[in-house]
Amino acid sequence: MTGKGDTVRGTREMSMPLAPDWRLLPTAVRAVVIVALTVACVATPGFFSLPNILSLLTTVSFMGCVAVGMTLITISGNIMSFSLGATAGAAAMVFIVAVNIGGIGIGLIAALAVAALVSAAQGFAVGWVRANPIIVSIAAVALIYGTAEIFTRHSSIYFKPGTGIEILRGKLGGVPLEFVVLLCVTAAGQFILYLTRFGRNLYMMGSSFRAAEAAGVKTWRTVTGAYLWAGAFTGLAGVMLAIRYDGANMDYGVGYEYDAIAAVLVGGTLMKGGHGSALRTLAGAMIIAIVQAMLLLRGFRQEWQYLFTGLIVFAVILLHSSGERR
Amino acid sequence: MKASIRNDPHFRPLVILAACIVLLSAVDWGQWRFLSAATPFSTLQTFANIGLVALGLGLTMMIREFDLSVVGMFGLAGCVAVMTGAAHPWFGIACAIAIGLAAGIIQGLIMVRFALGSVGVTLGGLLTFVGLAHVLTENRSVPYDNFRVALLVNEPFAGLLSVRSGVSLAIFAVVALTFGFTRLGRDIIAIGSDRRAAMIAGVNVDAFIVGIFAFSGVCAAATGALLSYSLASASPAGLSDVLVPAAAAAILGGVSLGGGSGRPLGIATGALVLAVLRSGLNAVEAPPFVNDIAMGAILLTVAIGDGPYLMRRLRQLAARERTDR
Repeated sequence: MTGKGDTVRGTREMSMPLAPDWRLLPTAVRAVVIVALTVACVATPGFFSLPNILSLLTTVSFMGCVAVGMTLITISGNIMSFSLGATAGAAAMVFIVAVNIGGIGIGLIAALAVAALVSAAQGFAVGWVRANPIIVSIAAVALIYGTAEIFTRHSSIYFKPGTGIEILRGKLGGVPLEFVVLLCVTAAGQFILYLTRFGRNLYMMGSSFRAAEAAGVKTWRTVTGAYLWAGAFTGLAGVMLAIRYDGANMDYGVGYEYDAIAAVLVGGTLMKGGHGSALRTLAGAMIIAIVQAMLLLRGFRQEWQYLFTGLIVFAVILLHSSGERR
Repeated sequence: MKASIRNDPHFRPLVILAACIVLLSAVDWGQWRFLSAATPFSTLQTFANIGLVALGLGLTMMIREFDLSVVGMFGLAGCVAVMTGAAHPWFGIACAIAIGLAAGIIQGLIMVRFALGSVGVTLGGLLTFVGLAHVLTENRSVPYDNFRVALLVNEPFAGLLSVRSGVSLAIFAVVALTFGFTRLGRDIIAIGSDRRAAMIAGVNVDAFIVGIFAFSGVCAAATGALLSYSLASASPAGLSDVLVPAAAAAILGGVSLGGGSGRPLGIATGALVLAVLRSGLNAVEAPPFVNDIAMGAILLTVAIGDGPYLMRRLRQLAARERTDR
């Protein structure tokens, strides 16, 4: 056994005599990032003030719920869905319409059902005939925006008075309700991934589609399930957006798919699938939100957040390459 | 095996083009809004908005990669051109193209050097370019004060063309000729079909990857710059809806998602289909969502039609039906 290990290490060293041990790099970077972030947080005046923490926890929740959903898709080996942002916007609008008709319960069911179905339909196309996930989700973006425009004609919609939606804008034990939802979503995602057969099939399929198929996994069901959950979690993000901003239009969801995939990648979930977890994604979302909050506090305007997110994703993808080449 | 029309990538775009024209003519029957002299010009204007982006994206798809960053580059180049080209339009265009070229080369080199997939790298590129555009413009819409140039790029000449559509068509012609009559075309198809075999046969695959992503960056940058000139303004988020039509045009044009098929003229036909659709729907005064839904439906249909498991699933369904009976 030791001999085998030695030969493997031997060939590695022969092929790249000057290369450091790449397997340690991600761990080292993770440690450096955490230390650097902590130092920067402490050094930023006002970072630990209550308003900042509360707004950080709220904004991370919208992105985080979408990101946990995206994690399932990424792990299943289908890279990402471009339609989750549009789905969040659509869910927000459906929620308001349904709340105005039948109250909060009906609204929640309608919004989650629409979001889950829209996403699951894409999952079915991807899983059943193995259509290209990127193209299917890009097509879905056009379809969702087009359909939404039939009903809304580019306008915003609002809650009518007396729906009692205000109680959902509160806090639970001092923590914004949105963040509690995010923690629940993360727990649910982690449960699905780690403790169910469906979750195991997701990892297997992401590692090797052919192996999963050979093992008798009904791959199309697993893919559809991943998209269904992604849609439901995203629907929850849409509902929270509608509640927080007291209204909705399709622009609310713009860009969340990119924030979400950034959180997934920063958390260390590999783009090729088969690795990752919901907890990692939560960590990734927190890191991005902390960096963005810090930039704001240090006087960078909002546009710098976009650039930094892009650069972070670039850096993370480069970093992942060391893990993926093994 | 029978060579059905579904499997002939060069025939499909022409059929769809004909179907679109027939359908729009039928809708417009007797009113002469679609079948008018203005339609070809507006069609070519729309073609100029998406054609080259689709060409760049399509070439990356032919080698089995995907350049997501075209969206970001489209917007960034527009902002750069408008901000640097007020006094000297050529300088603005040159700056935009230089950025597109540099970005494409850098992304290509990263993919080659670190053996990374293009989706990840160009996703990073996309987010970075969008961020750069926001930072450069300080999150605002930037006006382009040189109205003479703004009018000039859309000025019709020869009845049909403008500077923008002329440039697009000329580049398409050059690329189509290069693709058809030199080794480059065959090499690209070879890389897309079987990269390892192409490498063994002596194709410099790495150089092609870098070159094609550089070309894609230049195409997106040039289109974004010219479009922003013609709109007389640019904003960092303004041109973000180019990915849907560009991908749709490439796929409609017979570029297979699995790589190894397609040709520039096919992509041109695909872009023409979408341009006819958009300007035709405008001409018959259809509400704007019809175009979105039509484009999404087309893209989804083709994606499902290209699905590698489609035939197997249909056979399974047929078999189940037989046993049920």
